[in-house]
Amino acid sequence: MFVIKGIPASPGVAIGPAVLLPTADFAVANQHVDATEVKNEIGKFGRAVEKTLADLDANEKKLRETLGGEYANLMSMHKMIVQDPMLKDATVTKIKNEHLSAQAAIFQTLQELAASFDKVSDPFFKERRNDIFDVGKRLVGNLQENKGAFWASIRRPSVLIARDLFPSDTINLQENQIIGFCTDLGGKTSHTAILAQSLKLPAVVALSNAARQVKDGDTVIVDGENGLLIISPDRYTLARYKKTQREIKKAESLLQTINHLPTVTSDGRNFKLMVNFDPRTDTKENKKLITDGLGLLRTEFLYMNIPQPPSELEQYQIYLSTAKKFDMRPVTIRLADLGADKMPDFPLDEFDKDNNPFMGCRGIRLFLKNPDLMRTQLHAIVRTACEVPAQIKIMIPMVSSVEEVRHVRDALNQALAEFAKEGKKPVNKIALGAMIEVPAAAIALDGMIGDIDFLSIGTNDLIQYLIAVDRVNPEVAHMYDPCHPAVLRTIHQIIQTAHQRGRSVSICGEIASDVKMVPMLLGLEVDVLSVPPRMFLRIKNRIRNLNFEACSDTAQAALLASSSEEIRSLVEQMNQDEDS
Amino acid sequence: MITQEIKITNRLGLHARPAAMVSQTASNFDCDIKIAKDQVEINAKSIMGVMMLAAEYGSTLRLSFDGKDEKEACQALTKLFANKFNEEI
Repeated sequence: MFVIKGIPASPGVAIGPAVLLPTADFAVANQHVDATEVKNEIGKFGRAVEKTLADLDANEKKLRETLGGEYANLMSMHKMIVQDPMLKDATVTKIKNEHLSAQAAIFQTLQELAASFDKVSDPFFKERRNDIFDVGKRLVGNLQENKGAFWASIRRPSVLIARDLFPSDTINLQENQIIGFCTDLGGKTSHTAILAQSLKLPAVVALSNAARQVKDGDTVIVDGENGLLIISPDRYTLARYKKTQREIKKAESLLQTINHLPTVTSDGRNFKLMVNFDPRTDTKENKKLITDGLGLLRTEFLYMNIPQPPSELEQYQIYLSTAKKFDMRPVTIRLADLGADKMPDFPLDEFDKDNNPFMGCRGIRLFLKNPDLMRTQLHAIVRTACEVPAQIKIMIPMVSSVEEVRHVRDALNQALAEFAKEGKKPVNKIALGAMIEVPAAAIALDGMIGDIDFLSIGTNDLIQYLIAVDRVNPEVAHMYDPCHPAVLRTIHQIIQTAHQRGRSVSICGEIASDVKMVPMLLGLEVDVLSVPPRMFLRIKNRIRNLNFEACSDTAQAALLASSSEEIRSLVEQMNQDEDS
Repeated sequence: MITQEIKITNRLGLHARPAAMVSQTASNFDCDIKIAKDQVEINAKSIMGVMMLAAEYGSTLRLSFDGKDEKEACQALTKLFANKFNEEI
């Protein structure tokens, strides 16, 4: 038995024989053919173009149904690249004049095209070279006429092991008897991972060299819950995972029965459960969920991979279509938390490269230095609020002082006044809240609370700042600890301060969708949890099976604890009691 | 042959969606359509060519049309640019 650790990309457990995806040889530099073969090679190229177009057509349709418009549009752009006269003319000329094989001609043409994109200084256009190579790989794949043979050779449900997978490969996996997959590359938020989640295929990514360690036919386990690939498991491990599989299945069927029931503990305490909504990954499954509202709409994606900031209209269209999905329920839009690991491609005012980006100019700090960006986003949000019955809430990220809140309040009032001049007014009053993730804001919250309507605890960053631990630094990443006494005490203090002034508190970080931590958060009297859609029913089921009284007692004990270890054992105890 | 100078007036310039719209519209016509910016001239029916221009806000393009339906093609493309690719309020 051999275990490799990667990143869990899609939950669930898959057990089966491994199949290795052969890597397509893309780069053949100078492969020449006889003069008599030229016509044949041009024909091959033409058929590959036709085949690729058909593939892309099918993928576009499937993507539109599963992941929605944005991914589907990527496919239609790829379709245009395949049919591009520049690509076609240059490739055919190379085959004719230089007697190159179709594959070598495509490769050289793409290299030349990519090189001319490299000369462009605008980073947005530079990025397009990746699209060109995506299409190129697909074309070359279709040149090999026996390409379908690999998939046809899979006769029984199998686990796919690959160096990397394109989203458009992923979408066809289930038809080819693939029950789960592992890749050497990729990340948790890659398109492939998101697609695997919506297809409910267990997946682990970023395994670095799994493809070299597994042989065709080896029995493997994909543990999408913990991010493990287990090769040739022993009898004991196999039995344990088969049990886990049965439990997951049981839980899923149970979950379908509780969707319409209220989020209430066994002793009658009500909580609100919302979703962290991403319009790019809205699936049919998600649409079925009955939620208490949208707890967190991240807006950074609107600013990424474009040469200039998104216009008011572009933003408004996305907020409007999102808010409409939540009819009269609350919709919480977070102002763009740009900076640190989310730097847009377009230039920003007064911005030098940060040496210590997580403590630097990000979130509201960056917006206050670039007031036009903030003004445009506030206008787009107010415009939305004038159109929909949903209760629009604006959340300010990275707040450290009350002055920052007042600046945003002023800008919001100004936007409202401008709309009032046009005779427009929000259907419901817009609420303004702060994301509490900087310890200073948490400690001095009583001074700020009068200026905000609601607040949300950003646990991921709060924990990182409280313990002074950079999660990205492997030397100290293990010290990042949601069970640290300081974390629970700070959350407790925030909630108490908010409740004294009648403000509600939500938590939307990873901790809210950690099944084991939920009892502790309820015990600390949080009002709202907001979780990714795929975790929604699991967390609801957990809450419905908890006793609030017991959660409260555990939380009180944890607040007195002096070490993470004590708190962790309280957490474990709570989970054992409830599981039995 | 018709030539026409056009200034880019939409804020985002010829990014992916407008580039796609230009080459799609151009492909509907039989005539040869070229777009030039600075020293670079490309085939307007090629999406890669159009993107390669990296035409930003405020830049000027020289369009030329040559063929039977050159008038209609010129009208259609000029309209597309004038409407700013339907992306602004």
